[in-house]
Amino acid sequence: MRRRGALPPRALRAPLSPRALRAPLFVLCLVVLAASLGCERERPHFERGVAVVLPTQSATWVRNFNPFLPTQARWPTQSGIYEPLLIYHTLEQRYVPWLATGYRWERDNRALVMTIRRGVLFSDGQPFGPKDVVFTWKLMQKYPALDSTGMAKRLVGIESSPDEVTFVWDEPFVPGLYFVGQAPIVPEHVWRDVPDPVKFANETPIGTGPFTEVRSFKTQVYELGKNPHYWQPGRPHLDAIRVPAFAGNEQASLAMIRGDIDWGAIFIPAIDRLFVAKDPEHRGYAFQQVEGTVMLYANTTRPPFDDAEVRKALSLGIDRRRIVSIAMQGYTRPADASGLSDFYRRFHDRALVEAEGDWTRYDPAAGEKLLEARGIRRGADGRRRLADGSLFEVDVNCVVGWSDWIIAAKLIVEGLQAMGVSAKLRTYDFGAWFSKLQRGEFQLSLGWSTGGPSLYTFYGRQMASATVRPIGQAAEYNWQRFASPEADRLFLELAKTADPAEEMRISRELVRLFVQSAPAIPLFPGPAFGQYTSRRIEGFPTVDDPYVALAPYKIPGFLLALVELRPRGMPRRPDALGVFSGTRSMRLQSSGAQP
Amino acid sequence: MTYLLRRLGFYLLAAWVSLTVNFVIPRLAPGDPASALQLRFQGRLEPEALLAMKQAFGFVEAPLPVQYASYLAALLRGDLGISVSYFPAPVRDVIAEGLGWTVFLSGVSVLTSFALGSLLGAVLAFRRGGLMDSVLPPVLTFLGAFPYFWLSMLLLYVLGFSLDWLPVRHAYADHLEPGLSLAFVSSALLHAFLPALSIVLTSVGSWVLSMRSNLIATLSEDYVLLAAAKGLSPRRIVFRYAVRSALLPSLAGFGMALGFVLSGSLLAEIVFSYPGQGYLLYQAVKNQDYALLQGLFLSITLAVLLANFLVDVLSFVLDPRLRG
Repeated sequence: MRRRGALPPRALRAPLSPRALRAPLFVLCLVVLAASLGCERERPHFERGVAVVLPTQSATWVRNFNPFLPTQARWPTQSGIYEPLLIYHTLEQRYVPWLATGYRWERDNRALVMTIRRGVLFSDGQPFGPKDVVFTWKLMQKYPALDSTGMAKRLVGIESSPDEVTFVWDEPFVPGLYFVGQAPIVPEHVWRDVPDPVKFANETPIGTGPFTEVRSFKTQVYELGKNPHYWQPGRPHLDAIRVPAFAGNEQASLAMIRGDIDWGAIFIPAIDRLFVAKDPEHRGYAFQQVEGTVMLYANTTRPPFDDAEVRKALSLGIDRRRIVSIAMQGYTRPADASGLSDFYRRFHDRALVEAEGDWTRYDPAAGEKLLEARGIRRGADGRRRLADGSLFEVDVNCVVGWSDWIIAAKLIVEGLQAMGVSAKLRTYDFGAWFSKLQRGEFQLSLGWSTGGPSLYTFYGRQMASATVRPIGQAAEYNWQRFASPEADRLFLELAKTADPAEEMRISRELVRLFVQSAPAIPLFPGPAFGQYTSRRIEGFPTVDDPYVALAPYKIPGFLLALVELRPRGMPRRPDALGVFSGTRSMRLQSSGAQP
Repeated sequence: MTYLLRRLGFYLLAAWVSLTVNFVIPRLAPGDPASALQLRFQGRLEPEALLAMKQAFGFVEAPLPVQYASYLAALLRGDLGISVSYFPAPVRDVIAEGLGWTVFLSGVSVLTSFALGSLLGAVLAFRRGGLMDSVLPPVLTFLGAFPYFWLSMLLLYVLGFSLDWLPVRHAYADHLEPGLSLAFVSSALLHAFLPALSIVLTSVGSWVLSMRSNLIATLSEDYVLLAAAKGLSPRRIVFRYAVRSALLPSLAGFGMALGFVLSGSLLAEIVFSYPGQGYLLYQAVKNQDYALLQGLFLSITLAVLLANFLVDVLSFVLDPRLRG
């Protein structure tokens, strides 16, 4: 056996011991110290006139400014580098003329005539005109992949005159205004030479927007300088916008809280305490409920969900107040039976909705009564059974990892269980979940809702028979597969009328129909969120002056803010062309500066 | 020499197997790239546009063997395809952007961790039973047992956010242009400090412990006793004889660590918004971006194989028994 005491190490220990190793360790410590303290502390570098904006989160940026690839292109390609003809103002519920100065309907509302603004230049100094509008739409017709709204393929004619462009459908289609108005317009003299516009990354964009010059593009940050030829005189006030990349919400929140970002769209919990309280004078936020309403869809091809009364009964068992306060942190409100978010505020009439149905209130007792009346009774074990004696078992589908939705779904399941329904939460990967939803292979499922500013698209995607697909076939909309002949008739009328009063009358009929027949179970309107620190940059839409939605990702509304933002202290240049005339910002123009 | 050739053959075989697995695994995962595409558009894309988009992405329905053949053929040409999540950027370009930073960050941290850990381990082995030896190993084990995510967030919050000593995000200051200027290099070093520190803190413990126990075992070998008896200087004994063989077991682990340099810094890159390729991997998985996924796995696989081959060569140099 080896005796430990006689080991060489003991002999070795003394001569070698730390002294020899101490030196490298000491040097290392010095380096560490030098790095952490010796170097000058690096502060985020701000330049006057450069706004730091965080519209979306991504770990790295890839250079792409192709406006036809909405999710691939870097912000603000779609409305900032390129611009639309009209901007739908979500808060004021009307169109703001932009590259077009106005529009009118002709030929029994089959033709939309857009008057194109004169004197607009692209960022390379070439003039913009009707030919560019026509070229853009013909390009979308030629390449269906670019036609993300599907509107180009419905057009039967695009005609131009020196000042106007006329869009022609083969039948009256007034809701088409939104899609025609919102599309970004590209320059013909650049894009006609692009061999494959679908795979075109458009690294050096030429557009009419306020920020077109790529000053630098790196994977972690890019910067766009202002368009030297911008058509609104004296605007934009900013020299550039800088967009940093953030991989996660934590990092982005810290930067926002520290004031490194001027304008952001970050979900910050307890925002008053964590963000605003640090600098109440300069900070503000908004959670505007202008996104689509999150719905609980019931598959109406499967009994008993084909029965509107059963859907309403289930809805009565859902405590939306708890969902909003727990799952959504109070950043939205419970939906009512119309399912309309503030994006459709002009059609929303609380009295009308409440008169037709209040089945979105929380009243499990009423819900149970309704279920009893439909023959869905509690058995001896307290669980409800269908008329044929089988257990009323319900799966509620949700997406793995969408934590707010999962909490909402859990609360829904709890509510249904309390009414004696054997409900279960099922979570799937997005792909599987979406495929089940689209194919109609579900019972209950959470889901979003979409649409343009006309109820033609919003309710059309909920109850038009044209959107219904057979079970097993993927449906783009109307996953619940609900069709109503009466609604179809109203949609047809709505497509034909350009008269606001008539539009309002038909829309109210549609609201009434939706509330009566419960095609989907509305949960809460989606909030669009944004926050700002106005220490360096001012002119943000504030609580006192919400001239546009604050969310920097709300296309194309934020364009109105992009041309208004200015370095702190710089006087606001007048809106010489009267682009804002009629909007609430008029008030600002007369007073000269924003309070 | 046959030893090295045998290893080389083995690595070629391993490369082929991993390429094949690389092809199969993404296709076994639930969901498909087309629905992931839909996720990105969230109902904002009409069906016809989606169909045309799928064709542009190259989602052509083909039997698996055909897909496999074209996959291998494209790999040989060095064509990794087009990324779905960064459409229309080619995968090669997407990876190239992040690769340099990842290699820099994880390379520096793994090397530092290994060097520092082995050095400390050696010191502890010499002074075993001392104060440092009784305090340091438990502390390091404790640090190593921390969930990485938590520790890095803590560092970020305390050193970066509250004390405001170090930059907390990105690889260099946003206003600098990459280049060989002093400002840029120092900025890059400063920005790498926190993420590297977090990686070193969590990984150094295992190197210390393995070096310490290896060296203790080695120092009690007869040949060390013989060397001491011959009157060789202690320093010569330690560095020429003891450390050299005590390093061998650690070296194998170092090879693995080096290979995982490309993927290992995933969490650090997410926490510190470091523009490397770890986050790309996460993004690719989330979006079912087959092409990007394959490209990343390919680079990781090749890195692991290469690192292990280098370690084999190094052991060949260090260990005379292999040369026999």
